[in-house]
Amino acid sequence: MLPYVIRRFFHLIPTFIGATLLAFMIAQLVPGDFLTTKALEPNVRQETIDRLRAQYGLDQPVMVQYVRWMGNIVRGDLGLSFASNQPVMNVIRRPIQNSLYLVVLATILLWLMAVPLGVFSAVRQYSLGDQVVSAVSYFGLAIPNFFFAQVLILAIFLFRGFTRDTFGYSDLAFPVAGMTSNGWEEFSPWRQFWDIAHHMIVPGFVVATAGIAGFTRVLRGQMVEYLESDFIRTARAKGLGPRSVTYKHALRPAIIPFVAGIGALLPSLIGGAGLVEIVMAWPGITPRLIDAITRQDIYVVLGFLVISSLLLMIGNLISDLLLATVDPRIRFS
Amino acid sequence: MAAARKSAQADAAAVIAQMGGSKSQARIVWEQFRRHKIALFGLFVLAVMYLMAAFAGFIAPYGINEYRRTPVSAFMPPTNVHWIDPETGRLTRPFVYEYVSERDPVTRQRVFVEKLDGPRYPIEFLVHRPDRPYEILGAFQSDLRLFGVEEPARVFLWGTNNLGKDVFSRVLYGGQISLTIGVLAVWVSLTLGMVFGVIAGFYGGLVDDFIMRLVEVLDAIPQLFLLIVLATLLKDPRNPLAQAFGLSMTSGQTFLMIVIVLGFVGWGGLARTIRSLVLSLREMDYAQAAKALGGSELRIMFRHLLPGTASYVMVVLTLAIPGFILAETGLSFLGLGPSEVDSASWGLLLRDATARGISIQFVPWLLIPGIPIFLAVLCWNLVGDGLRDAFDPRKRR
Repeated sequence: MLPYVIRRFFHLIPTFIGATLLAFMIAQLVPGDFLTTKALEPNVRQETIDRLRAQYGLDQPVMVQYVRWMGNIVRGDLGLSFASNQPVMNVIRRPIQNSLYLVVLATILLWLMAVPLGVFSAVRQYSLGDQVVSAVSYFGLAIPNFFFAQVLILAIFLFRGFTRDTFGYSDLAFPVAGMTSNGWEEFSPWRQFWDIAHHMIVPGFVVATAGIAGFTRVLRGQMVEYLESDFIRTARAKGLGPRSVTYKHALRPAIIPFVAGIGALLPSLIGGAGLVEIVMAWPGITPRLIDAITRQDIYVVLGFLVISSLLLMIGNLISDLLLATVDPRIRFS
Repeated sequence: MAAARKSAQADAAAVIAQMGGSKSQARIVWEQFRRHKIALFGLFVLAVMYLMAAFAGFIAPYGINEYRRTPVSAFMPPTNVHWIDPETGRLTRPFVYEYVSERDPVTRQRVFVEKLDGPRYPIEFLVHRPDRPYEILGAFQSDLRLFGVEEPARVFLWGTNNLGKDVFSRVLYGGQISLTIGVLAVWVSLTLGMVFGVIAGFYGGLVDDFIMRLVEVLDAIPQLFLLIVLATLLKDPRNPLAQAFGLSMTSGQTFLMIVIVLGFVGWGGLARTIRSLVLSLREMDYAQAAKALGGSELRIMFRHLLPGTASYVMVVLTLAIPGFILAETGLSFLGLGPSEVDSASWGLLLRDATARGISIQFVPWLLIPGIPIFLAVLCWNLVGDGLRDAFDPRKRR
C-alpha cells in the first residue's frame, strides 16, 4: 500500500505545477497591476512606485516571477495581498474553511439521502415510490442551485409570514442568510457551533441537491443490474434473507463507483457551493474571489486557485486510495 | 390466389422491415427515439422554447430594455388580465385596467392597484408599433407584435423589475442568449476534445501522456473559479489579449468570448471519452486495413477512427449542453456573463431578484426567469437520455 501512496503522491506534482502555471498565466491577463492605480494618485512619486515594483518583484519577467512565487508556495508563503496589505494566507483561510463546512455537510447529506433512495428505487423497481423518486431526481438535476436557493428563501419567508399570522411566532424557520447570528462572538462555544450548524442546513442541502439526484439515479441503475445477476440468484437460492441479499451482496459492488466518485464530486460541490454562497450571503470562497478579482488583488486570486486545486487533488487521491481499499479487484501493482 | 400472393409479399416486406436490414442507422435511432415518449416530450418543449426565443420580437409586447420613467412602473406585479365582464358576468375579450401606484397607509410601501373605475383597455392582437421595430434571426425587420394594449395602460404578464422593464419580454429575449450559448460552447468543446482525444488515442505513448496531463491540469482547478477568473479578466477591454487583437469588446465579442471560455474550460471530459474510444477502434481490423493500404495518419484518424465515435459523441454532446446552459446562467447570475445593453441572459434576470434592498417575498415574480432555465436543462437531459437509449442496441424495443 505505502509504495502506491507514495507513487500516487509524486504523480500529483507535475499536475500541481501545471495547474499553478495555468493559474499564473491567467493572472497575467490582469491589465496592469495594483500599482497602476496607485501611480495615478498625485501624491505618490514615480520613485516610490518603482521601488514598490522592485520590492514585489513586479519588474521581473513573468517566468522569474512564477519561479519565485512557486518557491514561496513550497515554503508555505502565498505572497502578500495588495489590497489589505497582509499575507494572502490570512485573507483566504476563513473563506476556504467556511466553504469546506458547506462541502462536507453536502457530502454527508448526499450519502445519507442518496443511498437509501437509490436502494429503495432499485428494490421496488417501477413502483409508485420508484417513479416519484426518479421524477424528483430529474427535477433535482435540472434546477440550477442558485435558483433553488432563491426559491427556498422565498418559501421560508412565506412560511415565516404564515406562522406569524397564525401562531404569532415567526422564529420557526431556518435562517436564510449569512453564517452566524448577531452577537455570535459572545455566544458560548457550544452555542456558536449550534448557530453555524443551524445556518448551514439550507445552503448545505441546496449544494447537495444535484449530487443527491444524480447519485440516486446511477445507484438505482447499478443496483438493478446487480440484482438481476447470477450471484444474487445464488445468494437467494442458498436461503439468504432479502435484507442480506440487498445490502451485503448487491449494494456493496453497486456502491464502488461512488467511492471512486467522491474525488470527482468535490470540484462540482465546491463550484456548486459558489453560487449558493452568493445567494445566501455565506462568507465562503466565491464572494471573496470575485471581490479579489475586481480589486485586481492577484495573489489572493492565485491563492484561492492554488489552495482549491490542492484540495481537489488531495480529494482525488483519497478517493483513489479508498477505491483501492474497497474494491478487491484493484491490486497495487 | 392473387390476393394470397399479395399478402405473402406484404408479409415478407414486413419481415424485412422488422429485421431492419434495409434501414440506415439514423432511421433506426429515430424510430427507437420516437417510442421514448418522455424524450419526445422534451424535444417538443425544446422546439417550442427555441421558436419562442427566435420570434421573441414578435411575441414580446415590449422591447428588451423598454421602460418608462413616468408614471413609475418599477416592481409592478403581474398585470391582471380580465376575461369576464364585471357588468354582465359573461366571458368577454380579455382586457386590463390601468394601474396606479399608491403608498400603503401602514407600511409606506409602494403598492400598485388597478384603476377599476377607469376605462378598460382590451388586449389587441397583431398590433403595429412603428416606434419599436425588431429583427427576427437578424434578417427580417418588422414592427408587428403579437399582442399589446393601448397607452397609458400596459400589460406586464410577469410583472416588472427594479427599472420597470417587462419580465415577460425579457425572458423571451433572454432565451436568445441562454439557449444558444450552451449549444455553441459544446461545439468549441467538441472540436478541442475531438482533436486532442483522437491524437492522444491514436499516437499513445508520450503524446497521450502529455495530453492527458493537460486535461488533468484543467480538471485540477475548480471549473467555476476558472470560469469566474477568465470571464472577468477577458471581459476587461484593457486585458493584454484584447489589446493585442485590437478588440473593443462589443456585446457580440463578449458573447463569443464567453462561448470560447466555456468551451475551453469544458473540453477535458470529451477528450477523455474520445481517446478511450479511439484506443479500442485503433485495433479494429478496418483501421489496420486502412493502415495496410497506405492511408496517411491524418486520413486514418479523421476519416476512419473519428466517425466510429460518432454515435457515442452525439449522446455525450447532448448531455453536455445542459451543463453549459447551467454554467452560462451561473456566470450571468454573477454578472459576469455575455450580457450587455441589448441582451440579457436568464441568469442576469434572476440576478435582479438578489439586488440590494429587495425582499423576495414582495417581488416573487422576479424568480420566473429561473423556470425556463430549469425547463431547458430538464428537456436537454430528457432528450439526451432518450438518444442514449436509442443508440444502445441492448435497449432496442
